[in-house]
Amino acid sequence: MAAIEDMTEVTSRPRSRWGNRLERREARTALFFLLPGLIGMVLFLVVPIIASVVLSFTNWKLLGTPEFVGFSNYVRLFTADPQFWPVLRNTLFFTAEYLVLNIVISLGLAVWISSLKMGQRWFRVVFFLPTFTPGIAVAIVWMLIFAPDGFFDFLMRSISVQIPSMLTDQTLAMQAVVIVSLWAGVGYNTVLFNAALDMVPQSYLEAARIDGANAWQRFWKIRLPLISPTLFFGTVMTAITSLQVFDQIYVMTRGGPGNATATLGYAIYQRGFQNFQMGYASTIAWVMFAMIMALTAVQFWLQRKWVHYDS
Amino acid sequence: MKLSTVLAAAFLASSALVATAHAQDKVNLTWQMWGDEKDTALWTSLADLVTAEYPNITVTPQISGWTDYWTRLPVLASSGQIADLVAMQSMRMPSFYSILEPLDDHFASDKFDTSVFESSIIAGLGHDGKQYALPYDVGPWMVFYNRDKFAAAGLAEPALDWTFADFKAAADKLTEGENYGYANQAFDFIAGPVALGAEYFNDDNQFDLTNAGYLGAVSQFVDLTTVDKASPVFASGAGAVTASGRFASGNAAMYIDGPWSLISTQGAVDFKMGVAPLPRGEGPSRFITAGSGWGISATSQHKEEAYKALQILTGPKAAEILASAGRALPGRLAAQTYWYDVAAKDVSGTREVLAYMFEHSTPFRLNQYWNEFENLLTQYMPLALNGDSTTEAVLADIQNQLPF
Repeated sequence: MAAIEDMTEVTSRPRSRWGNRLERREARTALFFLLPGLIGMVLFLVVPIIASVVLSFTNWKLLGTPEFVGFSNYVRLFTADPQFWPVLRNTLFFTAEYLVLNIVISLGLAVWISSLKMGQRWFRVVFFLPTFTPGIAVAIVWMLIFAPDGFFDFLMRSISVQIPSMLTDQTLAMQAVVIVSLWAGVGYNTVLFNAALDMVPQSYLEAARIDGANAWQRFWKIRLPLISPTLFFGTVMTAITSLQVFDQIYVMTRGGPGNATATLGYAIYQRGFQNFQMGYASTIAWVMFAMIMALTAVQFWLQRKWVHYDS
Repeated sequence: MKLSTVLAAAFLASSALVATAHAQDKVNLTWQMWGDEKDTALWTSLADLVTAEYPNITVTPQISGWTDYWTRLPVLASSGQIADLVAMQSMRMPSFYSILEPLDDHFASDKFDTSVFESSIIAGLGHDGKQYALPYDVGPWMVFYNRDKFAAAGLAEPALDWTFADFKAAADKLTEGENYGYANQAFDFIAGPVALGAEYFNDDNQFDLTNAGYLGAVSQFVDLTTVDKASPVFASGAGAVTASGRFASGNAAMYIDGPWSLISTQGAVDFKMGVAPLPRGEGPSRFITAGSGWGISATSQHKEEAYKALQILTGPKAAEILASAGRALPGRLAAQTYWYDVAAKDVSGTREVLAYMFEHSTPFRLNQYWNEFENLLTQYMPLALNGDSTTEAVLADIQNQLPF
């Protein structure tokens, strides 16, 4: 009874919670313990983020003093820059293709691995290996494979397949980037989905089997809905990283040939660190940020239709 | 309150005085330079020359990789952490001269005469009539060729004033099966057209890539790939199997490079190689040169000492050390002979070819957007070479993306 009274008192006067001396002391202690992380976050995250907002309204060229230019960077980006729309198109194209292929392949591999009677652990390690290999190193090795007259061309010639060299062809260059990204990125999702599949209670599957559900039905009706929260997490994270794609493009194509593989991530580097237009690069970065936010929000909205949580 | 302020000010002033007094005693200069780790000993030995001459000055090299160097430089400069001595390449001077101290007043004070250096690189390390750096190396773009392949094909060695027609005939004749007569790369579409007499700038030093002369000259080089199939298409990515790789493996008989690569290329090939000037067009030969040097940071606290150090680092002894290591063809004329004896000792005719090329050097015209131009050329030229687009459309596209 006394406890209930206490509770009503607390809920009816929420402000007094912070008035409590003991809690205030606890809050101070908590803040003290949080400080190391907080200082790091403010210094390396909050301040740079605010700085980049400010920069996007200036014409800062790294050298010299920045001048405030209002919205002209944004106006230039959307109306005058001949490269912005192709770059946006490339980014979305890459994201769509890579996301679909990554999820399909990694889910397929995860299902296959979980169906194995033995060697599951071994395969999980093998597919996970590329995830902790540095992206730049991976891209360099693949660049040497795909280089004109390199190993890939030699292979194609020796099986009498007539295709242009991957990195010098406008259509194939993006496919080369997708292949490398898949090689490097599929393992993480595979392990993630495989772990989720292993969590599906055997009793559900056995019950379904007794009821006469075949393997296909068991996958679509039981396993997939049950791993949908993990699938959703994998999709959102993969979409975000693929919208930011940079390493592979920096090493393999430098946005070329032409603008065939120029993406937003590469455009930011090019404008900021090659052409020293820091203000303009910040503008692109903010447009990219807004786009990622919007697409992620859409994904969260869509999840209501296909993600099933236990609760 | 007031007294404490006065005391604090007095303390600060006195400590500043003490600091200055110390600075006169012993000065440590930082020296920003690019290179890889194996060069560290070389740069350190140069730094030691400074201390040997001026015991109160020590120079500490700060080495970073070539690509990183140019990303770090503006970042360090804008955050006030730039070194006292700064390495600069002639082609990047129009973008970075503002972070360097003009040297002309220092030259006047000790009556220093820059004519001891090759004139084209002195011009290259200046901007708007002011000198911002002193060179340690220089060189023109030239043709590296496989002498064994020339001999096997029954071709005469290139003459000093060979024409584009001669070059094309050689490239065609040396192309056989999967081997190319010549392997192009992005910069060839700058150095090559200039040698043919074309200009990529208008009279106001702004890009004019679609003028008939430049378009025609670039097209001549593009045709070697698209029409004659005598050269492969280069890929826009960094460090893909490059022209030098093709040359070393015997896949290409000629490519364009500079004296700065001669020692490494020579070490990589197992055939006899030669060098020739770039082919000329209808008119007389003309060649652009580039090189690098060191300047003094405009914000350095020790400009006097830095100038003294600079004189040693670009002095005769330092040039001799660098040249004897084969590292660079010295910008200092008197020291060039050491380089010929080391880096060029197995490449006959290098001395004559370079003498001819320096004699016919033409100012390398640059502006502040040069870096963007080179990047765009690397990114877009493959489209003209693989036949997806025309040379005219590619040059128009690049022109359209340049600020001027």
